[in-house]
Amino acid sequence: MSNTRSIRSALNRKTLRRGLAAVAGLAALVTIVAGLIFPGSFAGTLLGIATKQGTIEHALRLCVPIVFAALGGIYAEKSGVINIGLEGLLIISAFTGVLVTSELGPQSTVGPVPSIWVGFLAGILASTLLALLFAVVCIEFRADQIIAGLAVWLIALGLAPFAATVVYGSVNSASVGTFGDWTVPVLADLPYVGPILFSAAPTVFMMLVAVPLAWYSLKYTRFGRYVRASGENPKALDTVGVNVHKVRYAAVTLSGILSGIGGVGLSLGQAGIFIGSGQTMVNGKGFIAIVAYLFGNYNPIGAFGAGLLFAGLDAIQLRLQQVPGYAVPDQLIQMIPYVTVIVVLALVGKTRVPDAAGEHYESGEER
Amino acid sequence: MSAGSGSDRSRRDTLRDHYESAVDKVTPHLVRFATTSPYERLLISVAALALSVVVGGLIVFGSGMVATCQEPFTFHLVLFGNELWTWPTTSCYDPWAVYSSLLSGATGNLSANIYNYELALTLKESTLLIFTGLSVAVAFKAGMFNIGTQGQLVLGALASAIVVVTLAKVVPGGLVGTFVLIPLAVLTGAVVGGVWGAIPGALKAYAEANEVITTIMLNFVAAKLAFFLTSSYFQPENTQSVETAEIPSYATLNPWLFPQGSKFAIVAFLFGLVLVAAIWYVLTRTSYGYDLRTSGIQPRAAEYSGVNADRTMVSSMALSGALGGIGGTIWVLMVMGRFQVGVPAFGFDGITVSILAGNNPIGAIFAALLFGGLKAGSLAVQFETGVPKQLVGVLRGLIILFVAMPEFFRMVGRRVVDPRELGGDHDE
Repeated sequence: MSNTRSIRSALNRKTLRRGLAAVAGLAALVTIVAGLIFPGSFAGTLLGIATKQGTIEHALRLCVPIVFAALGGIYAEKSGVINIGLEGLLIISAFTGVLVTSELGPQSTVGPVPSIWVGFLAGILASTLLALLFAVVCIEFRADQIIAGLAVWLIALGLAPFAATVVYGSVNSASVGTFGDWTVPVLADLPYVGPILFSAAPTVFMMLVAVPLAWYSLKYTRFGRYVRASGENPKALDTVGVNVHKVRYAAVTLSGILSGIGGVGLSLGQAGIFIGSGQTMVNGKGFIAIVAYLFGNYNPIGAFGAGLLFAGLDAIQLRLQQVPGYAVPDQLIQMIPYVTVIVVLALVGKTRVPDAAGEHYESGEER
Repeated sequence: MSAGSGSDRSRRDTLRDHYESAVDKVTPHLVRFATTSPYERLLISVAALALSVVVGGLIVFGSGMVATCQEPFTFHLVLFGNELWTWPTTSCYDPWAVYSSLLSGATGNLSANIYNYELALTLKESTLLIFTGLSVAVAFKAGMFNIGTQGQLVLGALASAIVVVTLAKVVPGGLVGTFVLIPLAVLTGAVVGGVWGAIPGALKAYAEANEVITTIMLNFVAAKLAFFLTSSYFQPENTQSVETAEIPSYATLNPWLFPQGSKFAIVAFLFGLVLVAAIWYVLTRTSYGYDLRTSGIQPRAAEYSGVNADRTMVSSMALSGALGGIGGTIWVLMVMGRFQVGVPAFGFDGITVSILAGNNPIGAIFAALLFGGLKAGSLAVQFETGVPKQLVGVLRGLIILFVAMPEFFRMVGRRVVDPRELGGDHDE
């Protein structure tokens, strides 16, 4: 009885999500048609902005931290550990990447490796260590996952500006430059798609590789099956002799590694600096990532789509501010992505969360 | 933590589904978190605090190795006047000096003058933290995690500043103005904060949107909204920063006994204590409070015993938001004398206060005093030792982390108390 109800409710959700996508698609279509017919109208301007090569490039770059954090969040939550501290992982890796690069000297090298790539690895390491701490606290000490995740966020939010002040004398770091773009020869010369897909920041390429890899690993590999089972039915996994705790450690560590790439992608891939004032430069991207994977229904490809949507809105609002004649105040336009996240979350509501997510699992043998 | 709307039937459906959802799997943890004995909670909070101080000290020491200074400090171990051990460290920051300057910076010289400036700073911070801590605690009691106190405070502060500035033009000044404008400002803060808090409550009740995410998002929206409204409509022409006009002095809360410059008004602190008492009374002595707490501990039981879970969710979040909004009002009336963007993170500190207090309203007073001291003392720390005042942010995170892992302290406790019980029954 309850099963049919769940199924029906799941169907409703699915219909709702499809409906939502349909409405969004329709709105986009109307905008496109109106824009094509009346190029001078607002719809025309919007269309012009949204399809501009620069906007799409920008959106791809902006969605790197969101998508990587979302991928990490998927692994963790699929395995049964709700990692609400993704924001903190982004902050700590963004800062550590810049710190190590600037301490080594932005132009110098360590052996054959440019210092910025050492910074890249250091940022990932920092995020991984913080994720491990989170894992230990949740798995060994059975902490409440939400509160512990919150602590991860607040620790990073405190630690990064603190350390920045110690080193740089201000909550913002010195400028260290970015990775620069990688360009695929020949393909980059293709019109329109060339510059978007084949000449981009290294972390964009990594993202384009990581998304299908994550999808494949979750769906088709043994590790992916373990992760899913650990979140859905840990007891069954335990029964067949797989250590649930180990699987969860692996998944949470992976969320640290992935978020680390996202965080470094933000600081060293885009800005070339760490900004530590207010909510730091991460500015809620870790939380947006959570909504992105909920919206994408725990599917890495869906999460990528949602992340690209949120980042696309951000890219459009940044461009819209530069268009003369639309006197919409910056602060109002800047709200769009956050409000969209709330609306999406409200419409999608509860998703099919893994059954055992948020639950501590105690194997029988330990007792 | 329940959901559902519309007809009874579909309501039951969603309800059942909801309990099968993992969001509720968190509930048992919250329950354990909320239902440990007060004595144990106190022990855990104290232990967590002590551990945070130790880890914070290590972080200070470590960061002192990176910082540049004229000469690193030397550690002297002195026992009964004999110097037992001298260790010339490579760190610029002496954790011991940091904490002693934190303590003296928080309390001032009490024997010389009990109404000293330092203590006033501590009490100023504590006053604001009582409101935000109470705000988080009320939501928590109802099983909701309100991370949005910050946004509720920001908009409450802005609204009360606008109301006072606008009405000051028509209301007569002097004592009449004081008695009309201040209560009106508090009311405005409560209403605006309450409405802003009710939004995530309603989103959770009727659309099942997780309140942790929505409140965090609403913080961003609130900050941007406040910036937009202030800069577009309420900013006097001659000011550089984004702020409203100054409120008239008769509508501000002024220090009494304590130095004028400290911006600490005892009356605001007392008002905070009154609110604590009121909330305590509502939670423990009224049927509404009973329903609210039951919804937090056993949502299903509450629902079956006839509590309207949706309405409780919205109303508890509104109450929580109102308390945050009042915090904003007090910040405007007591500290700033106007609204200005870039509001300090009282809301986030309120989470620490509430968690440290085990979500107990009365405990929130002590946690607020403690954390207020930490914040006020950090200014002295920066001034005297060069350690950035952002240290408080680090300690805030550590405290929450350690309070979140009671099991750790239980394990340590068991190891100390009775080694034979090791590996025994984990659940009490």
